[in-house]
Amino acid sequence: MNRFLRCASSAPVLLAACVPLSTFAKPIAFAQGTTVMAEYGAGTMRELQVFYAPRYFFSLGLGHLALDSDIDARSRDFTYARLNYLVKRWNLESAQANIFSWGSLGSATTGTDSGGRLAWNAGAQFDYETRWVYGSLKSDYYSSSAFNHRIDTLQLGVAPYAHDYATLATWFVVQARRYTGQIHEGTEVAFLLRLFKRGAWIEAGPTTDGHIQAMFMFNF
Amino acid sequence: MRTLYSAMFLLTFGVSAASAATIEMKVNGLVCGFCAQGIEKTLRKNPATADVLVSLEDRLVAVATKEGQDISDADLKHALTESGYEVKAIQRTATPLEDLRAHLVKKAHE
Repeated sequence: MNRFLRCASSAPVLLAACVPLSTFAKPIAFAQGTTVMAEYGAGTMRELQVFYAPRYFFSLGLGHLALDSDIDARSRDFTYARLNYLVKRWNLESAQANIFSWGSLGSATTGTDSGGRLAWNAGAQFDYETRWVYGSLKSDYYSSSAFNHRIDTLQLGVAPYAHDYATLATWFVVQARRYTGQIHEGTEVAFLLRLFKRGAWIEAGPTTDGHIQAMFMFNF
Repeated sequence: MRTLYSAMFLLTFGVSAASAATIEMKVNGLVCGFCAQGIEKTLRKNPATADVLVSLEDRLVAVATKEGQDISDADLKHALTESGYEVKAIQRTATPLEDLRAHLVKKAHE
């Protein structure tokens, strides 16, 4: 409960920090664009990322991931520099699909560490989107001498109406997430309302465990 | 006389690259307003651009050019490719961008 209150109270702070900027939905927004993303993952994870994309197919940036284990009560913190790369994009007549990959290098601490240790991360994402349906599958692997984790996230979404560029987009999204490495038992399922317009994106909703899952993204 | 009519027709409806009011592009992969933001940003950087219109419904990106200026097809394709999208067709019309915008808004409400 304490963790829930702590993170719930930090979400508005993260949002306030991001609002004056602008953000993204994928790890690469657009050429010469900056992305700021903050995620509060149902009391289990929190992540803040800032990326800049020199070209449309890669971006560079910094991030911080905090994991709070439900199992051993230890925390894992990873501060990293990351390279995101668009492996393949399919621009179809009324749809788009992408494969992204990324790699990170940084410093990690656990709840019992006094200092940081070298850690790395590798991940990939496949997504497919029309103006009515959306699906993405993302897998992230984290490793250091103190821990190894994988976080797999599946999202499926439907839009109640087809939005256009100048109008607000609304999506209903179901998210399923699994953690390995003594972070969380079972599958975390969340029902999210996603809203975005121009460069601002927000999604939030409850998990089946009664926690809050939320994400804010801005492109500019 | 026929030459005069032809000249009047061209002045009224005809469009050359140099005098184009609006450049319309059909674009594949244009499904997300959040993602298409990069297209508008890139096109607005061109000094010949006066205004940009993006319609996901029509898979359309339209650019109004400044008086007497034009953007070459190669530059347009480069801008869209560098935004991560694929141009399928480019057409120059005399329709002002504001009229096109109004037409799309009206169509959306029908």
